[in-house]
Amino acid sequence: MQISESQIINGISSKDRKSFAKLLSICESDPVAANRIISRLQRKDAHVVGITGSPGVGKSSIINAILSKSSNRRVGVIAVDPSSPFSGGALLGDRIRMQSHATDQNVFIRSFASRGALGGLSPSIFEVCDAFETFDMDMVLIETVGVGQSDTEVANIADTVVLLLSPDGGDEIQMMKAGIMEIADIFVVNKSDNPASISLKTKLEGIIKFGGKDIPVILANSITGDGVEDLIKALDSRFERIKADGTFATKRKKRVFFHAQSFLRRKIDTIMQSIHSEETDIEKIEKELMKKLCSK
Amino acid sequence: MIKVLISKPGLDGHDRGAKVIARALRDAGMEVIYTGIRQTPEQIVQTAIDEDVDILGVSILSGAHMKLVPKILELLKEKGSKIPVFVGGIIPEDDAIELKKLGVIEVYGPGTPTSEIIDKIKGYFENANI
Ligand code: B12
Ligand SMILES: Nc1nc2c(ncn2[C@@H]2O[C@H](COP(=O)(O)OP(=O)(O)OP(=O)(O)O)[C@@H](O)[C@H]2O)c(=O)[nH]1
Ligand SMILES: [Mg+2]
Repeated sequence: MQISESQIINGISSKDRKSFAKLLSICESDPVAANRIISRLQRKDAHVVGITGSPGVGKSSIINAILSKSSNRRVGVIAVDPSSPFSGGALLGDRIRMQSHATDQNVFIRSFASRGALGGLSPSIFEVCDAFETFDMDMVLIETVGVGQSDTEVANIADTVVLLLSPDGGDEIQMMKAGIMEIADIFVVNKSDNPASISLKTKLEGIIKFGGKDIPVILANSITGDGVEDLIKALDSRFERIKADGTFATKRKKRVFFHAQSFLRRKIDTIMQSIHSEETDIEKIEKELMKKLCSK
Repeated sequence: MIKVLISKPGLDGHDRGAKVIARALRDAGMEVIYTGIRQTPEQIVQTAIDEDVDILGVSILSGAHMKLVPKILELLKEKGSKIPVFVGGIIPEDDAIELKKLGVIEVYGPGTPTSEIIDKIKGYFENANI
């Protein structure tokens, strides 16, 4: 069933979920059309928050807890899970933890497969994030694929990055190594029902202080919701602060550049997939790529 | 890319079949969302629409299929959605015939090879796209 671009635009303007769902599909299949539609819609600056951390640390569960305590605002959730590099298929399971909000009119959850994109996000992430800002959201939460130490892409799109750690990860030293620790604006030590979480929090605060920074560390239990109000408060006060001190404006300006970069990479990837994989001469591949790139 | 929602409505804890199907469809190259157990028809239909899936799969082994499946079909219609519905689980033959009359594309029982289900879904899309 095809619906036209103007139907989608009218639908989204009147908060029709089906039209918005279609726009998100277009973001995945046709970024040029998606950008064209988005440019014709009203946008509102939402607080875009990246939720990242190792597999199983509790990202989906804490998003569910945030949704449960945000009934007075409109929240969008972009949940990314990995695609299989072998079959290209994916099992998108983040949503299971959030299903109690499936019929909540103030919440819109959408699952995405990573489709080979780097950094624990999906190839369409910038279009998708822009799209959510046309659907009158106050906050947009991006759950990354359970990431490793160097998956820092989320900082290019999010206004605020929340890094979850948990005591059963035993991973504080790994996390300290590089990359991922440096992009965190807020730390959450999750699974506070585990007594070892207290010492993890203390260690983490020590590391942050040693680095001369002032980053909040929040102790939370995503299942009971303990500490989640503190997290929401920390998010809100950061959003106020970055809007006032110019950080937000700078980040948004940079986001436009990163969006262009992602858009062009995706274009090149698509062309590369159409070039015969048995070609071994790099120069020939380059020539063909350039030819196809310029003919578009 | 075919996007599928596998859902489990009602108070039915039998989730093995749903998980087997979800995994088989993923391995066949589809993007599969699984709702988890104990979902209301409202949750399932809203999820299918928000996720803009190409197929809605419903797994029921509890015996409540003649209440739950028609309700799902009715809600889809109410919301103006034409997402095709596939059903699997413990469904007596007469009920399967009845459900297909109501618009379910196909009904699968225990022991169906997953390859048969995959072929049917892929075939359905090839025909639909012509
Ligand atoms: C294993 C099992 C259990 C396990 C479940 C474990 C789990 N987490 O799944 C346990 C022990 C917990 C259990 C409990 C109960 N069970 Co039981 N259980 C079974 C049993 C033996 C096998 C089910 C199974 O896993 N099969 C393997 C999977 C792979 O097959 P499948 O689910 O049928 O899926 C296939 C197809 O149906 C199809 N399919 C399924 N879903 C979908 C979805 C889509 C979209 C598609 C395309 C295809 C598809 O494809 C699959 C692959 O071929 C069946 C009997 C039987 N032979 O089916 C009884 C059975 C389902 N159970 C039954 C009952 C009554 C119960 C209990 C109520 C018993 C009790 N009094 O406590 C409880 C209820 C639990 C609950 N909360 O709902 C009855 C149901 C009767 C009915 N519907 O009229 C059955 C039929 C047994 C019987 N003959 O009486 N059960
Ligand atoms: N005890 C305890 N368990 C938790 C807590 N938060 C999450 N869990 C459990 O941890 C497991 C993983 O939770 P998810 O929310 O799926 O974790 P995730 O980070 O989203 O996982 P991926 O998306 O697979 O990377 C689940 O079994 C949760 O129930 C918590 O605060 N305490
Ligand atoms: Mg998750």
